[in-house]
Amino acid sequence: MLVQLAALLAAGLALAQPAMAQTRLNVAIAADVNVVEVNKSVLGPGFKALVPDVDLNVVGTGTGEPASRTIYTKIKAQADAGRKPWDIDVALVSMAVASQMVKEGLLARYVAQMKNAALVKGAEVKEAFGVNVDGYVVPMFHNQIAIAYHPSKVAAPPKTFEELAAWVKANPNRFGYNGIKGGVSGVGFTMGWVYWKTGLYQQLTQGPVDKGKDGAIHEAITALRDFNKGVVITNGNAGTLDALNRGEIWMGVVWIDQLVAWKNEGRMDPAVTPSLPAPGLPIYPLYLVVPREAASRDLAVRYVDYIATPEVQAKAIVEKFGWYPGVDPDRVLPLISAKSRELLFKGVSPQDLARYSRQMPLKEYHDMITLAYEEIVR
Amino acid sequence: MLGAVFLWPVGASLVASFSRDGQWTLANYGTVWRLYARDVAYTLGVAAAGSALTFAATIPLCGWLRARSFGPLEFLLKVPLFVPFVVVGHALRVFWSPYVPGFGTSWLGIATALAWKHLGLAALLMLGAFRGVDESFLEAARQLGSGAARVTRDVLVPMAMPALAVSAVLIFSSMLASFSIPLMLGRGSGAQMLMIDVYYRFGQHGDFETASALGVVSYLLAMGAALVHVRRLTR
Repeated sequence: MLVQLAALLAAGLALAQPAMAQTRLNVAIAADVNVVEVNKSVLGPGFKALVPDVDLNVVGTGTGEPASRTIYTKIKAQADAGRKPWDIDVALVSMAVASQMVKEGLLARYVAQMKNAALVKGAEVKEAFGVNVDGYVVPMFHNQIAIAYHPSKVAAPPKTFEELAAWVKANPNRFGYNGIKGGVSGVGFTMGWVYWKTGLYQQLTQGPVDKGKDGAIHEAITALRDFNKGVVITNGNAGTLDALNRGEIWMGVVWIDQLVAWKNEGRMDPAVTPSLPAPGLPIYPLYLVVPREAASRDLAVRYVDYIATPEVQAKAIVEKFGWYPGVDPDRVLPLISAKSRELLFKGVSPQDLARYSRQMPLKEYHDMITLAYEEIVR
Repeated sequence: MLGAVFLWPVGASLVASFSRDGQWTLANYGTVWRLYARDVAYTLGVAAAGSALTFAATIPLCGWLRARSFGPLEFLLKVPLFVPFVVVGHALRVFWSPYVPGFGTSWLGIATALAWKHLGLAALLMLGAFRGVDESFLEAARQLGSGAARVTRDVLVPMAMPALAVSAVLIFSSMLASFSIPLMLGRGSGAQMLMIDVYYRFGQHGDFETASALGVVSYLLAMGAALVHVRRLTR
């Protein structure tokens, strides 16, 4: 009787166990819902086809810098509490937050373990905001800040910041951007303005940090204050796109991926075109990172490796969403269709990107510039 | 319980507001004074205007409803209670934009949106207070020839004053701490509500210290209103 009962219990327990042990991979995404969605519906299933016993749990934490800070705060709290392992395996975070996490020793140096490690290249995977991030980050995609315009209202878009300033003078309140409190595109435009006015791009992005440059920065921001008098300051990235679409403004500072997404969703006049005036505007990658004490670190590295595969980048990142590839474009772009290529480079050519994509400044200069903006422009 | 949910976080933000890089300092308050003094005044102004608008709309309506009960109007007046702040901000932005462009982004637009959102809470508190006034006072006033407006002004409001003061403190404090409506309606330039500044310091700069100092300033502003309320209660 006892033996029969034991056999019955054992059978019951066996039934209660899943057929195969599933490993849960927690993926935290600090980006828009479409980036969460691509992980859930495209990249996740694709990865699961290769690694069937993985169970992806994708969570979005919102948009903009605060979304990345949410991930940082959670990981930092676990590190400070001495709790191991941490419950985020892969995170997609901004350049600013990733650099801070590297500085504070919160991330694993994992890129060398990837099969596609050689494809992870460019200045922004070596250094971000003055922090050496080499080996810690893989850009999921690149996003360029650009100036979008209505061709019916603006026959010849400004090719330089000088031309832009002259155009705004001639067309008051027809150019818009979101200041520095409404999102990174406005911050990026401010940085581009300072690069142009000061001519200090190399020093502001490569160092050395010199507090003596505060005078030049203040002068540039004072000129921006005067420029702003003829400009519409919107309440965010979406606010600029909305004003553009409704024709309230004829030119505005946008993220190219948001412009493409709005067009794909039928929310934006398809004629609106991006342009990249000299000396350029920042390009801002979102980095895939693996926290130092991630519970499933090896699997996390495999997931990032999968996203960095040229075929996956071409189909899921470039063709489906109109983002610039995160890894070596020379390996990814030959794999995309002619139609996608045309959409991707409408208005901003690969040559424009090569010449005018700018890095964000070092953190010290970034803070000096935004502080000057708050003091002078207000 | 009170310690865990209130005193601890308040204490932590107080400590953060007086420290930077592990050192005690007043520098965070210096930053608040230098960069955000105008925003403190702006926030006080918007919250005061929003509270005044709320009362200007609710007192006559509730006075009228006290005299003759009318369910549909009372229901409509309480609807804003159940509409989330973000939805109010978005709806009014979309509604105003074509007819009065620029109004939504102005201080008056934000104050009006805040007043709309707080109508429900004000009506709930005020109707209760007005209904607590004994019917015999209203009868006497009516027999002496007072209309609904006069009864409201000379009988209901003075007799319900303590409850109105509580409502004013609650509504004013809530407006001081408003975030979603100014975020949805406001512009990226000019003076900002304090919670937008808190979000900016933390979100863009990861600057908990200045954000905490701004938070402490907000506590003090709300506490000023609460002190007035407590003094009334203990008088």
